[in-house]
Amino acid sequence: MRLTGFLLLAAALHVSATGTSQKVTLSLDHVPVQKVFAEVFRQTGISIVYTESMFKDFSPVTIHMRDASPEEVLDKCLKDQPFAYSMEGSMIVIKKKVSPPAVADSSFSSPPPIDIHGHITDSSGAPLAGASVTIRGTKTGTTTDVNGNFELRNAKENVILIISYTGYTTKQIKTNGHDLTVLLSKSNSPLDEIQVIAYGEVSKRFQTGNVTTVKGEDIAKQPVSNPLLALEGRVPGLFITQVNGLPGSAVIVRLQGQNSILNGNDPLYVIDGVPFTSQLLPTTTGGPLGSSGAFSNGTSLQGNPLSYINPSDIESIDVLKDADATAIYGSRAANGAILITTKKGKIGQTKGEINLQQGWGHITRKINLLNTQQYLEMRHEAFRNNGATPDSNYDYDLTLWDTTRNTDWQKIFIGGTSQYTNVNASVSGGTSVMQYLVGGTFHRETTIFPGNFDDKKGSLHFNINSQSINQKFHLQLTGNYLIDNNLLPQTDLTASALNLAPDAPALHNPDGTLNWMVAPSGASSWYNPLAGLYNTYQNKTNNLISNLVLGYKLFNDIEIKSSFGYTSLQTNEFAPSPLIAYKPEQRSSNTSSALYSNSTINSWIIEPQAFYKRNIGKGRLDFLIGTTIQQNNSNGQALAGVGYNSDAVLANILSATTIVPVSSVASVYKYNAAFGRLSYNWDSKYLLNFSVRRDGSSRFGSQNRFHNFGSIAGAWIFTQESFIQNNLPFLDFGKLRGSFGTTGNDQIGDYQNLNLYSPNIVGVPYQNTTGLVPNGLSNPYLQWEETKKIQFGLDLSFYKERILLTANYVHNQSSNQLLSYGLPIITGFYTVNKNFPATVQNTAWELSLTTTNIKTRNFSWTSNINLTIPRNKLISFPDLASSSYSNSLIVGQPVTILKKFHQIGVNDSTGIYEFADSKGSPTYNPSYTTDQTAIIDRAPRYYGGFQNSFSYKGFHLDFLFQFVKQIGASYAYTFIPGVYIGGSVNGYNQPVSVLSRWQKPGDKSNIERFSSDFSTAGAYSYSAGSDAAFTDASFIRLKNLSFSWELPKSLLQKTHLQGCRIFMQGQNLLTITHYAGMDPENQGTVTLSLPPQKVLTVGFQMGL
Amino acid sequence: MIMLSINKLQYHTKRIRSIVNEIKRTTFCFTRFLNSKSRLFPLVFFYSFSLIVGLVGCNKLVEVAPPVTSITDDNVYASDATAIAVLTGIYGQLSTTSNYNSMGLTTISLFSGLSSDELTLFGGGTGNYNAYYTNNLSVGAGGFEYWNNIYPYIFTCNSAIEGLASGSSLTPAIKRQLEGEAKFMRALFYFYLVNLYGDVPLALSTDYSLNGLLSRSSKAQVYSQIVNDLKDAQTSLSADYLDPTLLNTTNERVRPTKWAAAALLARTYLYTQNWDSAEVQSTSVINNLSMYGLDSLNGVFLANSTEAIWQLQPVNTGWNTEDARVFIIPSTGPDPFAYPVYLSPQLLNSFESTDLRRTNWIDSTIVAGNTYYFPYKYKVNLQGAPVMEYLMMLRLGEQYLIRAEARAYQGNTTGAVQDLNIIRIRAGLPPTTAASQSDLIAAIQHERQVELFTELGQRWLDLKRTGSVDSVMNSVCPLKNGSNWVTNQKLYPIPLGDIQRDPNLVQNPGY
Repeated sequence: MRLTGFLLLAAALHVSATGTSQKVTLSLDHVPVQKVFAEVFRQTGISIVYTESMFKDFSPVTIHMRDASPEEVLDKCLKDQPFAYSMEGSMIVIKKKVSPPAVADSSFSSPPPIDIHGHITDSSGAPLAGASVTIRGTKTGTTTDVNGNFELRNAKENVILIISYTGYTTKQIKTNGHDLTVLLSKSNSPLDEIQVIAYGEVSKRFQTGNVTTVKGEDIAKQPVSNPLLALEGRVPGLFITQVNGLPGSAVIVRLQGQNSILNGNDPLYVIDGVPFTSQLLPTTTGGPLGSSGAFSNGTSLQGNPLSYINPSDIESIDVLKDADATAIYGSRAANGAILITTKKGKIGQTKGEINLQQGWGHITRKINLLNTQQYLEMRHEAFRNNGATPDSNYDYDLTLWDTTRNTDWQKIFIGGTSQYTNVNASVSGGTSVMQYLVGGTFHRETTIFPGNFDDKKGSLHFNINSQSINQKFHLQLTGNYLIDNNLLPQTDLTASALNLAPDAPALHNPDGTLNWMVAPSGASSWYNPLAGLYNTYQNKTNNLISNLVLGYKLFNDIEIKSSFGYTSLQTNEFAPSPLIAYKPEQRSSNTSSALYSNSTINSWIIEPQAFYKRNIGKGRLDFLIGTTIQQNNSNGQALAGVGYNSDAVLANILSATTIVPVSSVASVYKYNAAFGRLSYNWDSKYLLNFSVRRDGSSRFGSQNRFHNFGSIAGAWIFTQESFIQNNLPFLDFGKLRGSFGTTGNDQIGDYQNLNLYSPNIVGVPYQNTTGLVPNGLSNPYLQWEETKKIQFGLDLSFYKERILLTANYVHNQSSNQLLSYGLPIITGFYTVNKNFPATVQNTAWELSLTTTNIKTRNFSWTSNINLTIPRNKLISFPDLASSSYSNSLIVGQPVTILKKFHQIGVNDSTGIYEFADSKGSPTYNPSYTTDQTAIIDRAPRYYGGFQNSFSYKGFHLDFLFQFVKQIGASYAYTFIPGVYIGGSVNGYNQPVSVLSRWQKPGDKSNIERFSSDFSTAGAYSYSAGSDAAFTDASFIRLKNLSFSWELPKSLLQKTHLQGCRIFMQGQNLLTITHYAGMDPENQGTVTLSLPPQKVLTVGFQMGL
Repeated sequence: MIMLSINKLQYHTKRIRSIVNEIKRTTFCFTRFLNSKSRLFPLVFFYSFSLIVGLVGCNKLVEVAPPVTSITDDNVYASDATAIAVLTGIYGQLSTTSNYNSMGLTTISLFSGLSSDELTLFGGGTGNYNAYYTNNLSVGAGGFEYWNNIYPYIFTCNSAIEGLASGSSLTPAIKRQLEGEAKFMRALFYFYLVNLYGDVPLALSTDYSLNGLLSRSSKAQVYSQIVNDLKDAQTSLSADYLDPTLLNTTNERVRPTKWAAAALLARTYLYTQNWDSAEVQSTSVINNLSMYGLDSLNGVFLANSTEAIWQLQPVNTGWNTEDARVFIIPSTGPDPFAYPVYLSPQLLNSFESTDLRRTNWIDSTIVAGNTYYFPYKYKVNLQGAPVMEYLMMLRLGEQYLIRAEARAYQGNTTGAVQDLNIIRIRAGLPPTTAASQSDLIAAIQHERQVELFTELGQRWLDLKRTGSVDSVMNSVCPLKNGSNWVTNQKLYPIPLGDIQRDPNLVQNPGY
């Protein structure tokens, strides 16, 4: 024992047995300090040695601490007092602080300093690089190098080291200089969960931005083929719409509302650090997949690129929303960023996992349509109303078909069961120098349509991590490869299911051939919808996403690394129109044809970065600087083949007698940026974050090619303040954060700044030369749309993390709107891309509450509820009245509004719909220029999810309800009731609600009189463009249900299995809504597209 | 609840002071860190790194070449081939329009036939067919498509006229011909616009900020621009038909010549009642005997017939004209989608009994006892058949009728009768019996009805320019669908989008 000359030993020296616990909980108000010491001894058995006289002038103390170490208590008691203390075995000695001794005295008055060496690892023995090591009570500290090693020179003996690492429980170790190995264990606290951010990661505890993480296990609970669909109802601020229920269908994503009036509103997708396209190339074959939202100039885009990411390879999805999280992505992140991290190999024994899943899907709801009796009543009444009689050459539904037939076409065409199969296997493992993971997945989904249609996917995911022996160099290689073969009909049979007259003929003749129900003229009386199934649509896609990261530790505190990413998304489409799909009588005058298209989106990206970490003052500084060089190449061609001698050879374009070019796309997009981020964490209490980015993009005009973006964010963990700790002991964590910054939007498509002419592709070139056609109007001043984001957040944790609350207030303003500015066609084009000083504001409250309701040894119940209340508003739009937007936007209203006529019902004497003109007087012919006075906003009023997880021993039950409050399109005005349309429609069946129609003068009704011709077509189209065509489409949906049983270890002992789990999962199982159409989510009855399906699966998972 | 006593307040003040001190200390640490010599190396490293980053942020890395699929406007008018391709592009686009998938100018034969008294719609029809047929057009249901379709062509013409004026590297003869083609086409487009919509905005440049605010010019102004363009075209255009190099002559009558300009000029003068000029222009074409003559009835619409002044070459793979494709009704009968129209009884009844055009230019299909007559000027409608027919844009027959009418109005009844009889005789009819000026004018109008039926809207335009539209339609409309004719229906509606986007544009009455 080395004591200084100033040390005084007390007479009253308590020598006690070793304490039972090293944690102290105190709640004392205004007591002498000695009382605190006594309490510490009582709870820990640690004696505190002091002399009474030392504290005679010491004012009483108030102290409230929970689970604190004795040192923390002392720190608090003695703060700013002339006392120091030291740990001497199992006692603590209090002494007066030493005044700085004279230089001459130092040689003998201080003990010689020592060097402390140590090595820090996680529980598996892997070194933790960048862990912080501080000597308690001092500002001296360091961080571990890539090997997890650290060195502290000139330290005193017997100091206590505080060792912390993001995501791990902080440890305090007493040392006297020997080489130490410290093992940190992963923190179970939800606050220490890691969130992936741009160019790094951070724990929730020290997160300064608005970021929501969805973990892989929550994604794995959901039988979906597009990972975006697994986010529905789980992320505040994120609103996702599945456009239709076909495998590979389009998905519309809006993160924190619509920022751009017209251009792309897609978030930036980044997969393992590599940006991924948010839209596929425009397709020329059409196809049934639906559009994920316009990209530029309303080009029709099909499907969604995220369909080609395998959900079971995903470790986590992080949704970055505010400026702090996204400004470093600059011009691409105005709509937020969605970061997908795939699974990585971990140190440990080689592990195998197999997951088998089989399921069945159905439509969620049917719509109540007229049966034959009601349909005939409608048709005959329509003819009576018009004083007409059915035409035997046209009105086949009344004159030719068997009017005693009644078919539920919904049951026939969309009432089937789809199959869902997912098989996934992976092997992973590794040592401290090398970890790997290889996984493969086979996925198949069939459709609910009759016929053999399915979507098959095979994917491979691999990851290798390696560190050099000296731990200075590291390498990470990740690859995701997916092959998709999607075979669908070109047209969605939902249209036939809804429109076909209920007395339409049988689909097949008794001999099994297709029934064409030939009319006396010799022509087919209908187009048999099953013949349309011969017009198939095949989409074969290969998607590769790969990333290589090389890193090297130059110095202890400087690391450089660079990521190299390459993506390649190749799509081949084939859409044949065989002769057999024509009506028999049309086959002689037609030839079979087919469309072939292929498109490729390649991109490469190089991002060199340098990191610098250092403790400065009481805090830790993290500095990042980097640059991005990126290029995207998009290429696509479509060809049509005509004149095949047989339907059987359509797949081979060489069998065509004529090959016609249809379209070609070739565009290059280059992008270059420099970025930096500086983070400072002062004493785990105050956090400060700056980020900047300078961006340049080829999409913008030569006059405006570069721009700067940046953000500043701060957070205050107020529960680190003693006055909060003392007064709010139930609050274990509290953080206030705020951020401000700018981000941009460049989703305008390539070459919009150039005046271009493209070849005019025609079948037979005019005079054997190819013409040129101007593409559009150019604007060399094109620039970024800028979004300023101000967001505030509060994170609270109560009662030992039993209750976690996160609240965010969002205030985003997008200006310099990159409008595809509408022009009169007099100018030659409908639009010109232009920056316009209009401002769109998105404000929102985003709330998330997680509670652990019950937690016992065997049973736990946790709940999460999240709620988003968004509000979109057009703040300013100079000269709106004279602009092309005068009829679609109103300052002070959301940009999502639609201006519609106000329908005032059916005139009770004529039976025709009437509308209010601008003055409110009734009219049959409202004016599109002045009378669109009703304002409809289809954007959701509020939405969210309510999730509950129960677990009892090996059983887990998890369900998620999604709720949305919104206005949607109603099915009531799709077509005139009473009319029959031949050709491909073959009727026009109606919902039973039309039976409440007007029949005779004096009738009060909301449905106009039936008509057998188009004399009421005007009123009908006005109605379709009126407020009457909209209805409440709010819903509560059991989005996900997952039940699993983990076989007890005792059962598995005899096998070689590491674990075995049997599970059942369901998606969209239950929908509660007043909406009268088929499904409130995609309102597919209006667009005649298949609604999202409900899917129920069973499966099991084995660990080897 | 936090209760702060004075003591606590003092305590917190102290705390804040200590925080401030801490910040000062930290700032000091930062300053020391930045000044510290021992940290020089990392600093140098960072500075040089930033420098690299700064250099990287240069234009080179974000500059892209124009896409390989397109050409920039700077280059288009710099070479003969690409400059020619711009005009060829217009002809190709015009010719590609099918009656089913879009509403290009060449579909006017079908749709104005529905608007007027030429065609009957089968089976109630769908969408736009019905709106045209019932003269119940609206900004939501048709009529505005031609406007939407034609103005982009006018942009291309304007762009060509501007580009050619500045393109000095072109072969002079080619440049001259192209200037002529561009002006001729612009005149043709405005001719249809002014006849379908009345007063229309006159866009003569590519400047969208200017064009986007145009108000309507009076019909007189538009016609005067058409005349000016055609006069320019007449002097610039070649007298011979040219091949796609514009350097050699060809017998393919698919590019405009000075005769096409004269023919359209004759029609324009006729429409503006400038009778003597109309006669001069039509005479210049009629007198070009080495090039033009009347064909036999079944030879008129063949490719490069001697009657053709200007035709469009079909470009849709496997098809002859799109008109044959839509008009000819197969043995299975009309179809609301594929074969939606047949000839109206009004038109059929207007033929004199011995008129050979009734038998050569009209055919019929009998289905379940109903006879459907259809236009049979173009006769090849089988997919894959060799291309024998081109779409007739201007022909000599019309020039005789133009001159007849111009002469009649000038009191030259003998000359008028002569011209009229040339057309009648070819149709196997006896010479006209009309003698007085007014009878003769009526006879010429009747002859136009049966000679030019379902040809690019001639009938619909004639009804309107002669002022007979209201009387004719008043009797036809009730027969068509029981509705009443409203005089505003003679003009098609202007697209709503343009009314909304151009503050100076006013909608036609009644829409």
